[in-house]
Amino acid sequence: MSDLDDFKATYFDECSELLLELEEQFAAIEEGDRSSDRLNAVFRAIHSIKGGGGAFGFQALVAFAHAYETLLDHVRDGRVELSDSVAVLCIRANDIVADFVAAAKDGTALEAGYGDHEKQQFDALTSGDPDMAGEPLEEFDIDFVPVMVNIAGAEDDPSEFAEPLDIAIIDDAFEAPPLLPEMGAWTIRFTPHSELYARANDPLLLFRELATLGETNVRAIIDEVPPLNDFEPFGVYCSWEITLRSETASEAAIAEVFEFVEGNCDLEIVRGAAPVVEEEALDAEIEAMPSFAEFAAEPAIAEEELELAPVLSFAELADSMKPVLKAAPPVMPTPLKQAAAEHHEFEGENDRRSGVEDRRNGVQSIRVDLDKIDRVVNMVGELVITQSMLTQQMDETLRARYQELVRGLEVLAQTTRGLQDSVMSIRAQPVKTVFSRMPRLVRELATKTGKKIRLETIGENTEIDKTIIEQLSDPLTHMIRNSADHGIESPEKRLAAGKTEGGAIRLSAEQAGGNILIAVEDDGGGINRERVLQVARDRGVVGPEQTLSDDQIDQLIFAPGFSTAEAISDISGRGVGMDVVLSNIKKIGGSVHVKSWPGKGTRMTLRLPLTLAVLDVMLVKVAGSPYVIPLSSIVETIQCARAKFSRMPTGGQVLQVRGEYVQVVDLASRFAMTTDVERDNRFVVLCEAEGGVKVALIVDDIIGQQQVVIKSLEENFQSIEGIAGGTILGDGNVALIVDVQGLKSSQTSHHKSAA
Amino acid sequence: MRVLTVDDSRTILAMLHHTLSNAGFEVLQAEDGQQGLDVLKNESVDVVITDINMPVMDGIEFIKQVRASGVHNALPILILTTETSQDKRDQGRAAGGTGWIVKPFDPEKLISVIHRVVH
Repeated sequence: MSDLDDFKATYFDECSELLLELEEQFAAIEEGDRSSDRLNAVFRAIHSIKGGGGAFGFQALVAFAHAYETLLDHVRDGRVELSDSVAVLCIRANDIVADFVAAAKDGTALEAGYGDHEKQQFDALTSGDPDMAGEPLEEFDIDFVPVMVNIAGAEDDPSEFAEPLDIAIIDDAFEAPPLLPEMGAWTIRFTPHSELYARANDPLLLFRELATLGETNVRAIIDEVPPLNDFEPFGVYCSWEITLRSETASEAAIAEVFEFVEGNCDLEIVRGAAPVVEEEALDAEIEAMPSFAEFAAEPAIAEEELELAPVLSFAELADSMKPVLKAAPPVMPTPLKQAAAEHHEFEGENDRRSGVEDRRNGVQSIRVDLDKIDRVVNMVGELVITQSMLTQQMDETLRARYQELVRGLEVLAQTTRGLQDSVMSIRAQPVKTVFSRMPRLVRELATKTGKKIRLETIGENTEIDKTIIEQLSDPLTHMIRNSADHGIESPEKRLAAGKTEGGAIRLSAEQAGGNILIAVEDDGGGINRERVLQVARDRGVVGPEQTLSDDQIDQLIFAPGFSTAEAISDISGRGVGMDVVLSNIKKIGGSVHVKSWPGKGTRMTLRLPLTLAVLDVMLVKVAGSPYVIPLSSIVETIQCARAKFSRMPTGGQVLQVRGEYVQVVDLASRFAMTTDVERDNRFVVLCEAEGGVKVALIVDDIIGQQQVVIKSLEENFQSIEGIAGGTILGDGNVALIVDVQGLKSSQTSHHKSAA
Repeated sequence: MRVLTVDDSRTILAMLHHTLSNAGFEVLQAEDGQQGLDVLKNESVDVVITDINMPVMDGIEFIKQVRASGVHNALPILILTTETSQDKRDQGRAAGGTGWIVKPFDPEKLISVIHRVVH
């Protein structure tokens, strides 16, 4: 049933959010924040996971979550102290819940008894409490089948319901105990209290439900109703005596009808019919009730109030809610710049706040398909292009003649820019979604390496495109592993160097112009440049005569297959890692830079685009046509006349750049076009493809840098080797986006080059 | 007939929406008590179904505030909760709740409980 699958998808989505939130909360709890807000948030998360799991019959998950929830309930009201060992147990429990959720999602079975050990620990901690521990676990095996029910208010279109069910369905509401076959009659005396009405219960509805058990005879006792002068609108003056004739109704079944009003009324249920009373009183049968209900209960009054005082009462309501709003911490801009300026001092302000509060306080949201947003992003992209095209068309004579038009275009430019920013921000998410996974990683690393490491996060509310966020997790994990493994020294070494015993890793994010900078910084030993250079020379990454600046040596750690770990640890020293960071980040149009201070620490910075929809490019010309090359893959540009080309035996050409031989691709001949530009007037754009391999592209002219909106070729035409997509330039011309990686891999088949 | 459903779990909101709209109800949604109050400010509904455990404003406080507003005295409010323990239910009723629904609910029961409290 597809509906059920939809619900499940929603549920699993929700679960991953809740699990993430659990991690956030426990990261704070571990740091000593044991406020009730956090504990409540943890409880709610587990509660929601359990609740949804129950609806789909994930019994193992529900059973475990239930036991865990019981413990959390004890913890939040103080019956169980949240000691370090309990916190550790909870963190373990979160993992187990995550495993159960994953197993439920994939439909796989976990080993029998998984989580039982922890469950026993929960039970041991919460035992002796009859309140929750004894709470029966509901039977969670309900097949979710929607039914059509003919209900009041829906009668307008009876044809909608193929098989109208009678309202008598109420019979089996609330797991009524098996009805005992009992002949005869019951008398029910029912006197409501004012609370019953205050809770919007209505005697008429009770009688209606009672009537489903058998034949009823309702008599209103109105002796208490005062004369009109003394009549209190909210007073309760009426009681009822009902005779129920039923062959099947039990006392329990009758009591159940009054379940919701228990305690708000005097109720007496006795066997046998009530004595026959005078005719007129009997007239007050159930059919006569509606008018009475309107008269006795509030509706009439409420309506009157609605007319008279709704504004006032809502103003009061709003007033009474103000403290709630005030209690919310204001979302403050992070003191990023200040923190960044003092990159050596790990004393920046920690702005971790409860994610729940940030996300939920007073913020209303709707969920929208990413596809829909992407369509809007795309159309806004088109709009921006059209706008800049129009602006370009305005030459000086036109400007002088049509001043109104000029003003209009200026407003249009402003509005489109605002629109573009707003649309981009819809796709943006705070980096917190990735950052929040890191505290745990650092804890694990600290345990594994035996080092003391503290993690600080800054600017976690910085927003960035969702797709980019999804790609960030792996690189950040590698970088933090690297810092923990290679950066931070052992406590002994640190003490010997006059540092504090525990090291610190700082993870920060900030927006700088059209980019997001994410930095992983440690106060460890810094990069051992001698060793890095030695290894690089040994492996042929650096030529023997090549001399490198300190900065260039630092960047070597991103070279493919490069690892200086003296002992290969199971954390980061497998020789893969930092080069993966580089290629992942390049894939999303970013760059990586590392800076190191010997003995003081290392900072690795990721520079990421705000969005993937807009690309920073270099506009070039080849055989009269415009092409664009992603700026992120360009290393440098060289004039052809100054470049030194050498011909290979295979017929291909290479270019020597600073002792390094680079393959040459002449774009004109590669795309089978002829150019009449003299060879010495042409340019070489040196690009770096995936894995740090360089390729030199020969173009006719370099026009400049700009931003473009990417258009897919596959969707609109077909995929072409060496072309990553297309774009429309400000003047309306189409330019193709050069796929450096694709050119590089197809190079062998096109070795005909001319320069 | 219009129902306001208040629950911080999207799963539960989605299931309620499905069941209720199949039964011909018009369904409004809110993710916590505060949002529920905001909805009630502008919309009129025939019945409210609310969860208890919610962030920002929990169900108990939500019910209290609805009743305190003075204009929703006759609005039936059903407490939707997995808590089978008596005390949550009592708290909900003391705040002004009309009745309750036990999660996980089965669609027929859900509808029948609504009919217990709505004309």
